[in-house]
Amino acid sequence: MQAGEKVLTATQLGMTYGQRQALRGLSFTLGAGRILGFLGPNGAGKTTAIRILTTIIEPTTGSFSVAGIDSSDPHGIRQRIGVLPESLGFPGRNTALEYLTYFGEHYGRSRTESRDRALSLLSEVGLGGRHSSLIGSYSRGMRQRLGIARTLLGDPQVVFLDEPTLGLDPRGQQELVQIIQRIARERGAGVVFCSHQLAEVESVCDDVIILNEGQVVADGRVEDVTARKGAVRFSVVVDPPYVDEAVRVLQSERFTVSRDPQVDGRIEVELGTEDPDQTLEIRRELLRSLLAAGVDIVAFTNEASRLEEVFLSLTEGVAS
Amino acid sequence: MTNEHKRSEGRPKAGWRIVLRSELSDLWIGGKAIIFLILFSLLLGVMAFLFATNKELSLTPPAEALFLMVKTTLAVGLLFGLVLGADTISGERERTTIESLLLTPVRRRDVVIGKYLAALSPWPAAMAVAGGYLLLIAPDGATFVSAFVWTGFVGTIIVAAFTGFGVLVSVMSATNKASLSTSLLVYILFFVPTQLPGSAQAGVVGELIRRVNPLDAVNQFLDKLLVSNAAFDELVSWLVSPMIMFVLVVLGLGLVAPRALRLDPPGIGALFARGRGAVVLALVMCTIALATASPSQALQESTGQLTIDVDLSSQEVKTGDTINFQTRVTVPEDEIGPWIVAMNIVNLGDGDPVDPEDWSPLRAQTIEQVDASRQAVLEWEVNAIIKGDYLVYMVALASPASAGETSQPVSSQGIHLTVEQFFRINPGGVLPLAIGMPLALSGLLYGVSRARRRTIDSEVMN
Ligand SMILES: Nc1ncnc2c1ncn2[C@@H]1O[C@H](COP(=O)(O)OP(=O)(O)OP(=O)(O)O)[C@@H](O)[C@H]1O
Ligand SMILES: [Mg+2]
Repeated sequence: MQAGEKVLTATQLGMTYGQRQALRGLSFTLGAGRILGFLGPNGAGKTTAIRILTTIIEPTTGSFSVAGIDSSDPHGIRQRIGVLPESLGFPGRNTALEYLTYFGEHYGRSRTESRDRALSLLSEVGLGGRHSSLIGSYSRGMRQRLGIARTLLGDPQVVFLDEPTLGLDPRGQQELVQIIQRIARERGAGVVFCSHQLAEVESVCDDVIILNEGQVVADGRVEDVTARKGAVRFSVVVDPPYVDEAVRVLQSERFTVSRDPQVDGRIEVELGTEDPDQTLEIRRELLRSLLAAGVDIVAFTNEASRLEEVFLSLTEGVAS
Repeated sequence: MTNEHKRSEGRPKAGWRIVLRSELSDLWIGGKAIIFLILFSLLLGVMAFLFATNKELSLTPPAEALFLMVKTTLAVGLLFGLVLGADTISGERERTTIESLLLTPVRRRDVVIGKYLAALSPWPAAMAVAGGYLLLIAPDGATFVSAFVWTGFVGTIIVAAFTGFGVLVSVMSATNKASLSTSLLVYILFFVPTQLPGSAQAGVVGELIRRVNPLDAVNQFLDKLLVSNAAFDELVSWLVSPMIMFVLVVLGLGLVAPRALRLDPPGIGALFARGRGAVVLALVMCTIALATASPSQALQESTGQLTIDVDLSSQEVKTGDTINFQTRVTVPEDEIGPWIVAMNIVNLGDGDPVDPEDWSPLRAQTIEQVDASRQAVLEWEVNAIIKGDYLVYMVALASPASAGETSQPVSSQGIHLTVEQFFRINPGGVLPLAIGMPLALSGLLYGVSRARRRTIDSEVMN
């Protein structure tokens, strides 16, 4: 696999359950070795999208290809992907080792090969010491780890993880992030991963797609998506005696302002637009009026927005 | 690149084998199948013991006892297969393992085949267990071989058909509750008629229903084969509906089940929309039509004379055996009736003359109406009371129209009955098997679960 080669292409995917449009017009591409985060409130259509791409359900509209295999050959796709599904059930009366060995044989490995592979994957996800326990006796987090080990059995070219950190302890979450990075960087697989842990998505993902009510509301590289929103807010620090005056001036210019209770003299200003050209102009005006009023400005910064803020503002009105 | 290479080189050749092996180990090493065999052997043991010791049951003729045991083997084997089949896919949906199952790079058809064969696996084992009891009950080696081989053969057809039916229902069901209740309901619909007394299903319609019901047809086949020694030509026609059911189910498993194997069960309507349902429906219609058309007996046209035929020419039985046969009376076009059919039994050897009243619950029957081809079929039953050599013959006559008139009775061909002394099952022979078989199976269960425990971390076992 060449870096940058497209391992996943989705075109206008749509899914309708009865009257409900769970997904509409989802199009994107994913390069080898890249990590894509799917974000969105509950019911946004993330799982639906992942189920379509992993051939579990058929889309009502659109098409896709995974690892160069068209969606008309789901069997071929299944051989090249690894999936941690949302509904993750295991046969409780098998041991983890038995289960992974069995699952691995489906990829055409011999029993011994498959067993060796299972053992190494189990220790990679931190289950090395418990590989011969019945899965029924596993804790939630342990099952999640087992599920992650399973995704890697077939040396997948694309890995799909539906809320992989669900139920993992803090160390487990950190380890998982490392595993995901290894999958992408070392194995060169594309990773699609959906999560509600925004900090995690921000730190691991190269690209992000934010879904709301089945529709894409933002997509692109993580920096771009956050930067786009980042221009919306400024923070001005003035000499503390001038704070009241500064607030009065800004409010008279119809800006939404709030004082930072922690830092004396710090005022946050919302610009009310996302257009970069406009924000530049507004910023000049803002500074000019402050100076004209004789306010001493100590510092002035663009407030770099976090993914979380972008997420909340784009998916407003829906409980996340 | 090495990964790439490994994958393309090692595409699984027979995915169904991997599925089958895993399902078999679940079923057998998990213990479910062995527990079933233990219960099954206990049931057969109790039956055999009662036949041998209970005063009333010990009078059951061996052929009849053998047939009862065969019938039980079929009913139980088929029920277990149906239950296992009904669990296959809906069980995965219920345990939320379906998505993982669908993600395995094995073809859907292979998943269905593997699971289906695994659900069938207890049947040969049940037959092997039943073999021991049949051997005990059978009056002689030849009877045992015939009972065992034929039960094995027709049992396999009907168990495979019902198990596959269970799988089909399971594929269409979201939960085991739905799947099991549907499967069991259908089973009961098929099973209950087999428990009704024969007289409830006499006549053309009754016989038709028996022939269309595959379970009843198989029972009739074995009954006629083991108890009434019927001619093979007549027997084969009873296998038509079980065969058709088997073929339909296998077609369904091949064509419909792989497509219906998805996260949520398909609406039946969705299948029909794809045109496959129409194929299935057409096949079902064909079954019914075919099974219905299978001739029970060649129809004879009215010849203008009163005639009577019997469907049995000779039979060797043991004291206490029941002999069943039919008469078919054809009446002249212009005659009005009613007609009377009477039975006579003549002792061919020396000894007392036979009193037919002792031998049969019904000596004479009246025909009030005949069908369009001027024919009427009557059922008869004769109980072999005493050892000896007999000829049974039937007489048909029209009631004279008035006091001054008479009519000419006609006789059927005779039925030559040879009655041997009743063979008694030896109670001493029953006990070792009735106790030994469940014990041996329990030992097997213990051994298997011990071996299993050794491969699992001891900390989690209690
Ligand atoms: N099998 C189904 N039948 C009917 N509607 C469904 C089905 N599966 C999902 N939906 C609907 O589709 C929409 C999207 O669901 P989906 O599971 O994709 O959301 P999600 O983004 O994964 O949410 P979450 O964060 O809660 O996991 C929801 O409105 C849901 O009710
Ligand atoms: Mg989801």
